[in-house]
Amino acid sequence: MTRKQKRLSVIAGALAFLGAATALTFYALGQKASYFYMPADLQTATLQPGQRIRLGGLVEGGSIVRGQGTQVEFSVTDSEKTVKVRYTGILPDLFREGQGVITEGSFGPDNEFIADSVLAKHDENYMPKEVADSLKAKGVWQETTQ
Amino acid sequence: MLFWVIAAVLTLGASLAVLLPLTRRAEGEADASHDLEVYRDQLGEVDRDAARGLIAPSDAELARAEIARRIIKLDAESARQSKKTSQLAPRQVGVLAVLAVPLLSWGIYAAIGSPSVPSQPLSARLSQKPADSSVDELIARAEAHLVANPSDGRGWDVLAPVYLRIGRANDAVTAYRNAIRILGSTTARQAGLGEAIAGSAGGIVTSDARVAFEAALKLEPADPKARYFLALAFAQEGKIADAATAWRLLAESLPVDSPWRAATDQAIAQAEARAAPSKETAGAPAPSQDDIDAAASMSSGDRTAMIEGMVATLDEKLRQNPRDPEGWLRLVRSYQVLGKTDLAQAALGRAYAALGRDSEDGRKLTELAGSLGLKVTE
Amino acid sequence: MVETGHFALILALVLSLVQSLVPLYGAHKGDARLMAVGGPVTVTGFAMIALSFAALTVAYVQSDFSVTNVWENSHSLQPLIYKFTGTWGNHEGSMLLWVLILSFFGALVAAFGGNLPATLRANVLAVQGWIGTAFLLFILITSNPFARLVPAPIEGKDLNPILQDIGLAVHPPLLYLGYVGFSVCFSFAVAALIEGRIDAAWARWVRPWTLAAWVFLTGGIAMGSYWAYYELGWGGFWFWDPVENASFMPWLSGTALLHSAIVMEKRSALKIWTLLLAILTFSLSLLGTFLVRSGVLTSVHSFASDPSRGVFILCILTLFIGGSLALFALRASSLTAGGIFHPISREGALVLNNLFLTTATATVLIGTLYPLIVEAMFGDKISVGEPFFNLTFGPLMIPLLVVVPFGPLLAWKRGDVFAVAQRLMFAFGAALLAVLVTYLFIDGASVFAALGAGLAAWLVLGALTDLALKAGIGNVAPDVALRRFLGLPRSVFGTAIAHLGLGLTLLGIVGVLSFEKEAILVMKPGQVMEISGHSLRFDGLTPVRGPNFTEEQGNFSLLDAGGQPSAVIMSSKRFYPVRQMPTTEAGIKTMWLSQLYISLGDEAGDGSVVVRVWWKPLVTLIWGGSLVMMLGGFVSLLDRRLRVGAPARRKSAQAKTSPVTP
Repeated sequence: MTRKQKRLSVIAGALAFLGAATALTFYALGQKASYFYMPADLQTATLQPGQRIRLGGLVEGGSIVRGQGTQVEFSVTDSEKTVKVRYTGILPDLFREGQGVITEGSFGPDNEFIADSVLAKHDENYMPKEVADSLKAKGVWQETTQ
Repeated sequence: MLFWVIAAVLTLGASLAVLLPLTRRAEGEADASHDLEVYRDQLGEVDRDAARGLIAPSDAELARAEIARRIIKLDAESARQSKKTSQLAPRQVGVLAVLAVPLLSWGIYAAIGSPSVPSQPLSARLSQKPADSSVDELIARAEAHLVANPSDGRGWDVLAPVYLRIGRANDAVTAYRNAIRILGSTTARQAGLGEAIAGSAGGIVTSDARVAFEAALKLEPADPKARYFLALAFAQEGKIADAATAWRLLAESLPVDSPWRAATDQAIAQAEARAAPSKETAGAPAPSQDDIDAAASMSSGDRTAMIEGMVATLDEKLRQNPRDPEGWLRLVRSYQVLGKTDLAQAALGRAYAALGRDSEDGRKLTELAGSLGLKVTE
Repeated sequence: MVETGHFALILALVLSLVQSLVPLYGAHKGDARLMAVGGPVTVTGFAMIALSFAALTVAYVQSDFSVTNVWENSHSLQPLIYKFTGTWGNHEGSMLLWVLILSFFGALVAAFGGNLPATLRANVLAVQGWIGTAFLLFILITSNPFARLVPAPIEGKDLNPILQDIGLAVHPPLLYLGYVGFSVCFSFAVAALIEGRIDAAWARWVRPWTLAAWVFLTGGIAMGSYWAYYELGWGGFWFWDPVENASFMPWLSGTALLHSAIVMEKRSALKIWTLLLAILTFSLSLLGTFLVRSGVLTSVHSFASDPSRGVFILCILTLFIGGSLALFALRASSLTAGGIFHPISREGALVLNNLFLTTATATVLIGTLYPLIVEAMFGDKISVGEPFFNLTFGPLMIPLLVVVPFGPLLAWKRGDVFAVAQRLMFAFGAALLAVLVTYLFIDGASVFAALGAGLAAWLVLGALTDLALKAGIGNVAPDVALRRFLGLPRSVFGTAIAHLGLGLTLLGIVGVLSFEKEAILVMKPGQVMEISGHSLRFDGLTPVRGPNFTEEQGNFSLLDAGGQPSAVIMSSKRFYPVRQMPTTEAGIKTMWLSQLYISLGDEAGDGSVVVRVWWKPLVTLIWGGSLVMMLGGFVSLLDRRLRVGAPARRKSAQAKTSPVTP
């Protein structure tokens, strides 16, 4: 191989690598990114069975039921609609009734939301940004003015 | 004054930092000498590595050749580079820079600084003469004392009514409870506790408050405050007639110059006015309207302000801790009777979110909302 | 005192403005006196900002609630240490810390840059001045820590309880030292672009700055990760959270810069690429600051955000990134390209390293920003989390880790990969053995776990092999080998130590991901539970009153084989009344490299409580490995070759470090 050919093959290799990485990234974005919904948004949303989404809202009061071991069931509400969520694992420290929460997972066969992660914001308002935006739009929640 | 001196000294220092280099003669070096120095260092490094056996002698020779090539290239480059040092010192730039420091800094500070506000370290504020202190500072001092000596009953006893007066009803409840626990029960303390509980509940005489008032009456059956509030409790339950009777009895027993006379008379008048039309429009009047009127009429207008403050406190409390069904009921009712329907509606929404619409508490809320004429959207 | 701080900050802004313009103009005109203004102005500006920061700190320590910022983030009952650290535990104070560090680095360049070519020095200081001016304006306009409150309240609103922790007191300064350290590399890059030429001294200056910034950033990220691990109470060490990614991206590209700067220093190659990386790394640091400070992304642990500030930082971001990249596009072609090399060589390996690291940076960047882009363009709210990063970042890292041991063993310019492979046979065999041992002899080991353990062993042994070969162990007499070993340049040690640390961190991650045990149960006082061969007894809850919180302390005893308590572990649920906020204080017992992690859940009425217990094998290696990496960086930093050859001091410096010649 001449020097020029060598250099070309190196560049081609690098480009192929970058191409593969780009393809992988966009494949992963398509597969693994999850959309954010509030319970009321679900009526209009078209979801593939098993599609991963993020579901946000307030934890409905009195809806937390602890099952066997780490199983927990609770309802997420935006004061219009309510969705039952099943979760196996550890709830975050600041998970509370009446507070904002984001759960991530997909709908199971019996129309229950199976979450594999639950997030509560670590801040005195306990209000994740997406949830706050949506609730503000609905007039349910107001920012505490100081 | 001291501040201005410091500011002036700082400005002087900053201006000198700009000025001094401009007055000195600085010598610029040719850039090539720096590069040469680096290459010479690299040559030395190669020699050391070779001597230590880290690189093979043949490799070292190659590296030396390469560095030598760079040095030759450098010579060629620096020969090509023209001397571009201009002797024309842009004096104006220097002058402008030196002037900018004091002018800009004092200008900006004049616009955004607060030179008249002194530093106020907390310890200094707490140790100044009581006469110079604000009420808040005095309270803070007492609080600091009580944190250190929580069993000082007299301290709690003094602080409790102060809390009540400035609208910190929750703290007043704690203070009264502590005073009662440490010093024992008296009429004044029990009645004060009742008032504080009612205050923290947005002006509503709750069952806890009633217990306290009744304890006060047990010690001193004629205590006007306890009697007044117990009558108010009747009114808030909708028993306007009972309330009016109780107030009338109170009014008869009160001495002429009692501070409670005006409030009681007003309450009686209100109760009668409310009782009359209610007979005509059967069951129509919202009982809660009485609550607020009675509470508001108790004395001057600042009580209304105080109630609003209490409602705001309650609102805040529910934001922090929404698992409080009774609190929500109170908040929704309070906003509605204060005439703030939109806030009442918002509070209702939040309450549903916190408690759940279908829970028992939720149904109570719906019931209340219906009676207050709020929208209960499904 | 407070107003003195405010005034000093304004003076710093004005000085920084002078610093941005005068030396630059001087360099342009070739006026030595104007260029000389840069140094004193930079140092004085640093003094002003330091004074300003001290004033704010005094206000915090003295609980001066006439300062709005203190009122919002402090409380008179807070322990003194958190009054002190509260100074930077909030947006305004932390931005002040940011510029303090920036001006400190600027002052270092000014003070020790006497041996730099005058124009380069002037331009570098001017670029530092631009950054300083932008951020000082940002502070004074949108987030002034010296805003006053009249009349002053008597009590403050308390520092966010999760920030009342020593870990988080140390984390931001370390992180900022890293972020801002890269600003010096950026300034050098932009200065080189302004001049249109790269001096030979350039790489020698940039390399140590990159190393120092990288060491601090490594520490900052590790500290933040450990803080999240024990303070958030859910036992995770990395969440792929935007805030974490924000610090991880500059680390990745900074690591790339670190390696490409070696090529540039040693071989004068990759000049343009290194310049671009320097610009990109600091741009990512700015982006990180923007993401954290603006609150545009949902994060599990973001705090204090304000959209209006976001817009300001976005402007700074656009100005600096756009401006520097435009300058790069304009001037890069005029820079001379460096030496040539064979694809299989030390240079080639470092290029490969750069290719992987920058691609990995790009995937993290895309994953972090994608939700923002989608929301801006389509209004949909989406999130990108762990599954995405596992699918993209993982496959990029594994091949990179596999080739790491090859790099330091390849020769410069033209290497022989087969000879290197032969020399690594021992490490390879040992790694293979580690795979087999893990798979066959450890319960519940998956193929993934076994391969992970093998890869970690490969990295550690590869690093040791590098040292052994360079010392000639086995080839020469032991005493010669020892002398050669001791005489090895520190940068060789640094490289080996850092790579070894990387292996240790990997081992920790593999250990936790594969062998972690977890139990959640309701425990009554006196009850004993078993986890991974450890017996743990719950001894009951004790209410405790802290200075500004109350807590329910859960007491646990670790029982030895005879059923006797051998250690006490305390885990508690705290409540901070001022902010009405609960926090979990995890109880952690370190046993050699592993940890037992206890977190309290909800309390039942009868004194029993929900307890979450994790057994986290080798977990401490995650952060221990990071410390080793930092040590590697530090040792490299001590290498005399990285110190700039100062014309005036050269002779004495050489005399001091003259090597022992055989």
